Order: sequence, then structure tokens, then C-alpha cells
Amino acid sequence: MFLQDNIMLFVFLVFFICGMLFVDKFASAYNIKNYLKNCAPLLVVSTGLTYVVLNGGIDFSTTSIISLGSVLGAHLLVESPLAGTPLAVPLTILIIVGIGLAFGVVNGLAVSRLKMPSFVATLSTQLIGAGLAVWFGSILFEGAVSLGGLPEAFRAIGGRGMFWLPILIATVIFVIFNWMLCKTVFGKQIYAIGVNPRTAEVSGVPVKKNIFLLFVISGGLAGVASIIYTAKNGAGVPTMGDAMFIDIVGSVVIGGTDPAGGFGGVKNTLYGVLFLTLVSNILNLMGIEWFYVDLIKGALVIAAAVLNLIFKNLGARGRA
Amino acid sequence: MSTDILTLKGIRKSFFGTEVLHGIDVSIRKGTVHGLVGENGAGKSTLMNVLGGVFRPDEGEMLVDGKPYAPQSPKDAQKAHIAFVHQELNLFSNLTVAENLFIEDLPLGAFQQVKYKQMEQETVRYLKDFQIDVNPKTKVENLSMGVRQSIEIAKALIINADVVIFDEPTTSLTKVEKDQLFRIIADLKARNVTIIYISHILEDVFELCDDISVLRDGSLITTMPAGETNRDALISLMVGRKLENVYPTVEKTIGEEILCCKHIASGSLVKDAGLTLHRGEILGVFGLMGSGRTELMRALFGLDKISGGEIIYKGKNFTHHTPKQAIEAGIAFVTEDRRDEGLLMPKPVEENLLLVHLPALAGKTGVVDQRKGEEMADASIKALHTKVQNKKTQLVCNLSGGNQQKVVLGKWIMHEPEVLILDEPTRGVDVGAKYEIYTIIQERAKEQSSVLVVSSEMEELMGICDRIVVMSAGRMAGEIECSEFEQNSIMEMALAGGGKA
Repeated sequence: MFLQDNIMLFVFLVFFICGMLFVDKFASAYNIKNYLKNCAPLLVVSTGLTYVVLNGGIDFSTTSIISLGSVLGAHLLVESPLAGTPLAVPLTILIIVGIGLAFGVVNGLAVSRLKMPSFVATLSTQLIGAGLAVWFGSILFEGAVSLGGLPEAFRAIGGRGMFWLPILIATVIFVIFNWMLCKTVFGKQIYAIGVNPRTAEVSGVPVKKNIFLLFVISGGLAGVASIIYTAKNGAGVPTMGDAMFIDIVGSVVIGGTDPAGGFGGVKNTLYGVLFLTLVSNILNLMGIEWFYVDLIKGALVIAAAVLNLIFKNLGARGRA
Repeated sequence: MSTDILTLKGIRKSFFGTEVLHGIDVSIRKGTVHGLVGENGAGKSTLMNVLGGVFRPDEGEMLVDGKPYAPQSPKDAQKAHIAFVHQELNLFSNLTVAENLFIEDLPLGAFQQVKYKQMEQETVRYLKDFQIDVNPKTKVENLSMGVRQSIEIAKALIINADVVIFDEPTTSLTKVEKDQLFRIIADLKARNVTIIYISHILEDVFELCDDISVLRDGSLITTMPAGETNRDALISLMVGRKLENVYPTVEKTIGEEILCCKHIASGSLVKDAGLTLHRGEILGVFGLMGSGRTELMRALFGLDKISGGEIIYKGKNFTHHTPKQAIEAGIAFVTEDRRDEGLLMPKPVEENLLLVHLPALAGKTGVVDQRKGEEMADASIKALHTKVQNKKTQLVCNLSGGNQQKVVLGKWIMHEPEVLILDEPTRGVDVGAKYEIYTIIQERAKEQSSVLVVSSEMEELMGICDRIVVMSAGRMAGEIECSEFEQNSIMEMALAGGGKA
């Protein structure tokens, strides 16, 4: 049981040790800091997505939330009347999280009330969000592809000067949401809904309300991730989230959360994030071209899915 | 005329160690309509599934036209020209009429493409024989139940059947559609096709059939010409058994009224139903399939919407509630479908046991008291004698039916419900576990919980209930006190609404 639940942790450790031994520059303090800083925002957004996947759903809109938050955030911090005032940073943070929550509310209502498949609902909001981000970018940035000059106080969130800050934020979020999943009524009910919503409903679980909340959580955490990504990047970019989806979903699936719902958890996703970011890091250090990197990541997601399936079948047979 | 087209000798069939057919011998005369009657669970459908090649018999042999017949699959039955019109319609509602008719043998062209034109022309020509006038391109989901039934029959007959089995064909039909079905049957008979007709509606059986066979508890009681018997005699034959099982009894008192519902309407099956339940009482609800008994329970629990009538619970109106509110008010519901509504099959025992009680284990904070949960799960396993080795790792899908049902009962009883609704609590449960479940029910009643039991096994209800209400066609057909329990009169009530359907 322990091995099955923590298999990705072992795989991660093996890769990490190999990295230390065989990859040039991997073991430097600079690289490890950089690696952890890269893990931080991915862990935040993947944690949110894990909640949705545990219900057998998907949330495509996370990438658009990251892009849209980035555009509007940079505008608010640099060019709006708010720019330069003491309230600029806290208000911008609230607004970006608010954008994520708003997307979550729309997704949640569409899935829980209108019975839309999450695939369709969030693909629509993903397209709308991505379109809005580019449109606002073209208006607000006056033709530029990005908007830099973000205040230092904001960039600190991304680790500038304080590399531990994004790591701390991600750790706190991870601990809270892992605790919520493992210890609270809400968390345990999510697993029940993921396995069988009819049984859950008969047993008094507020199925619709809980499904709604999953998407709000996913949206909200995508907003938080948008803040960290933008701060780390030092500029607002309208297409920031576009290429991220494989990393976000990959972390959840590689970690071992069952895409059909009901099994897995945020802890698994932590392993997935650590592993997938490690792979990117090592391949970068080795100077491999980006399209090979994507190719390898895609193959890893499939391998992880197959591995989990094998373990699941073994487990079921072993206990029969 | 008197040659037998079908002869069954010593057919036996067991499921999971329980024999449900105890050596059936029956002969069916060519060109007749043969009625098959019996209570729920008497073995009618199993016997016909054996004949139709769905199940293989453990023992016994069958002859068709004097030749040995041992079907391995429904396909073999079709080859032997035996057609089966099932109780539930088996059409694909998302496909067209023509596609449904030819699904098993689509006319294909040189490139494996379906020859739609040819198929549709043949469909029209073929359906004309049955006086069915539909566009072959219409999707089945857009047709009325009656037309679907006719197409189902037409599909069954496409094999040039010599024998046609009808299993409860009229449950979803209107009067007009039923008359049409009877015309088709008469027409088939005129063409010297043999019909086996299974129904709960005795009036129909007498109207249609030449011979009638009665099944009871997996044995064939008798076969006789329809003219030599009558309705009352048939009912006696169907139920005429003595109570064999021993049921546990406890000393208890029945208190004041706790739940009362009147004129409940819900969905298409519950039309005007009502009952009254008292503290400490075990009230049985009997009805034949389609009588609305399960649907009434679902409405009481808040799973199905109530479209008319009211529920009074502990003196207050409690009509439009969710299952969550019902649970909070002290109502529990063990559903008929254990696998799909009662349990989380791929999850461990403990997770299943605690599901209902989670909010109570957490209190206001929302944080579950894990240790208390474990203690309560252990207590439940011990109290109900559930056979579990490791409650944290053993998945409920790997438990026996009886132990699964104990997990379902356990998760509800942990919440100490005041009203316990049980829908077919012993279905798929072995005899030993049955007795234990009866004991659990009695103990709940002793502690002043009220219990509503739905069962299609009349004997079971008579064994454990203080009172039985009978439902028929969505309405209450009668009520009997414990001292006056009598099988014939209960069956009489249950069949009462049948003629009107």
C-alpha cells in the first residue's frame, strides 16, 4: 500500500540522485533554488486542479486565468491610476485572485447546475479567457507583447531577492489544501462523489454544492499561481498560460490521481510537480531543444498513466 | 394440433449456490398460447432465460420439435427459431427503426458500407405485416412506448420464429396499444406460431391463453387448460405455501404516529399513495413490479420530486426536502440497488461505513474526528457481525452480498435513525445473513425506531412486519394487520389494480 501510494516519490528521488551524480551544474545552489522556485506556482495551480480531477472532471480554464491575471495585474501595477500607490500590490493581488474565483464560479455553475460536462464548460471558458487576455493586452499594452517594470514589492512574491517567498506560499497552500482533503468532511465527501455521485447523494452528501466548490477552488488557486508566475516573470504577458497545460495536468496525472475520479490526492500531485519540474530542469541543463522536452513530457504522462493502471489492477487482484 | 413443440425435462439452475429452479418439467403444445404465472421471484424469468439461451441450465434437457436443443447463447435460440420479447425494451433509442431491426445482420456493400436504402425499403415492407406505419429513418427515442413495443416484437420475429416468448409485455402500454399487441398475438397464433406469455395480469392470461402453467418457488406446480381453472384457484396455486422460514421475534411496544403521508404523487408510477407509520412499528409495503412501491420510498426520502400530496413527520409538514435534510431529520434509506446507490464499491469498508455519519463526526468545525470514526466503524462491524478482516484496506466490492448489505445497514444505523426505510433488504443475500438482517431490523424496532420494509417476497414481510400495506398501480390497494396476514388476500389486493392498467 505504501509503495503504491508513494511510487512517484521514489521515482522522483531516483531521478534527483541521478541528476546530482550525472548532470553538470545540477547540484549547484543556484540551480536548486531555481528548481524550487519553478515548482512553486505549478504546485499551487495543480493543487487546485487535483480537486477537480478527483471528481472525474477537468479544468482547462486554469491557463487562461493565469494569462488574464497576468495582463490585468501588470496593467494595474504599472499604468493604471492605482500604480505607485501603497495599495497597488495588495489590491492587485485581490483582483487577480478574484478573476480566478469568478472563472471558478462560472465553471462550477455550468457543471453543477446546467449539468454540462466539465470538459465542455471549461474549454469554453478557457477560450473566452485566452481571447480576453490577448484582447486586453492589445488595448492596454499599446502594441507591446508584454508589460514590464513591475514594482519590487510585487516581484518579491516571485522570489526576487527572497527566493523562499514563493516556496513558502506554495508550501502553505499545499499544507492547507492537503489537510482539507484528508481531514475534513468536505474532503472526504469529494472522494465519495468521485467514486459514485448517486451513492453520495443518497448518503446525504450535498453533491451539487461540493462540485461547484471544486471549480471555485481550482479557479482561485489558478489566480494565486498567476500572481506568482507574473511576479517571477517580472512582466505581464497575454499568452503566459498558453503552454502550461501539459505541466499542470501532467503533474496531477503523473502524481497518480485517477483521471476517472475518486482516487489520489494533493500529496500525489506534489510528487508529480517535483518530478515533472525536475525533468524540465535536467533537460534544460543538458541543452535539449524545447520540442524534445515537450515530447518527453508527453511520453512521461502516458507512462505514468499506464504505471498507475498496472498498480491499480495489481492492487485490486491482490485484495480479491 | 396436440404435438408438443417444446419439451423441458428436469431443468435445474442455481445462482451463487442457491437453487432457483428445482427441476422443471413442462411441455408446450404447438400453436397454442401458453400462460406462465407465479409470484415475483418464482423463477418465471429465469426459466425463460434458460429457454432463450441467456442462461445455461445446470441440469436437464430441452427438446424443440423432438430434437435436442441446448443453446449456448441467445444466437443459438434464434437459430432454433425461438424469439424472446424481453420485459425491458432492448431497442437502441439513439438509432433509427431500420438500424434497430437489422442491427445484428446489417446489409453490407462491397466496401463494408451499410446499404441504407435497401435496409430502409425492407424495413417498410416488413413492418407492413405488423400494421406498423413508421418512417424507417425515425429514431426510436421519438416513438411512443407502444410503437417501440411493436417494433421490438417485429424485431424478435424477423428470424421467422416458431416460438415467441413474451415477458410481461404490457407493463408500459396504454389500453389501445395493449389491444394492438393482443391482435398481433392472435395473428401469430393463426399462423401456427406458439406463444409463451408471462404476466401478472391474470385477466389477460385468461383472455389469451389456452394452457396455463403455475410456477412457485422454482418448481412447476401444475399445467392445465385455461378453461379448467379460474382466477381464485390460480391465486391459491401461486401463493399456496406454508411459511417455512423461522423469523426472529422481540418484545416491543408500538408508540405514537411518527410519519404520515397522504395522496403522494411522484413520477409516472406513484399516483395517489399514503401510509401511516408509528414508533417501534415495522410496516411492510408489498406490491408487484411497477406498482410504485420503490418510487414511493424514494419520494419519502426526498430522492424523487413529489408532485402532489403531503408528508407529515413528527407533527410537522415535511414534504419537499432533500436527502440531506431527510437524514438530518432522522430518516435512513437502504436502497434497492446496493451496488449503485448504497455503496462506494471500490472503496474500503471503513470509508463506506462512515459516509453518512461524517458531518456528525465533525461537528461545527468540519474536521472529522478520525479516532471516533474508527471506534464507531469497529462497533458497527462487531454489532452486525460483518465479516471483515481489515476495515481500512478491504474493499466492499470483494465482500459477499450479505456482508455488503451489513455495511449498508451499518452506515445508516450508526446515525441512529428514527425512521429506517429498507427497499428489498435481503435481495442477493444468503439465508444465514437474511436471518441476521431480520434480527437487526427487529432490534431497531425494539429501540423505538420505525421501519418501512419494501419486499417482493411476501413471506418475508409476513414474517417480520406488524402490518402490511399493499400497493397496486401507484395507489394503496389495502392494509392488513399482523393477526390477519393471509397470502391469498394480499396477492388479491396486489393484483387488483392490474386489470385497470
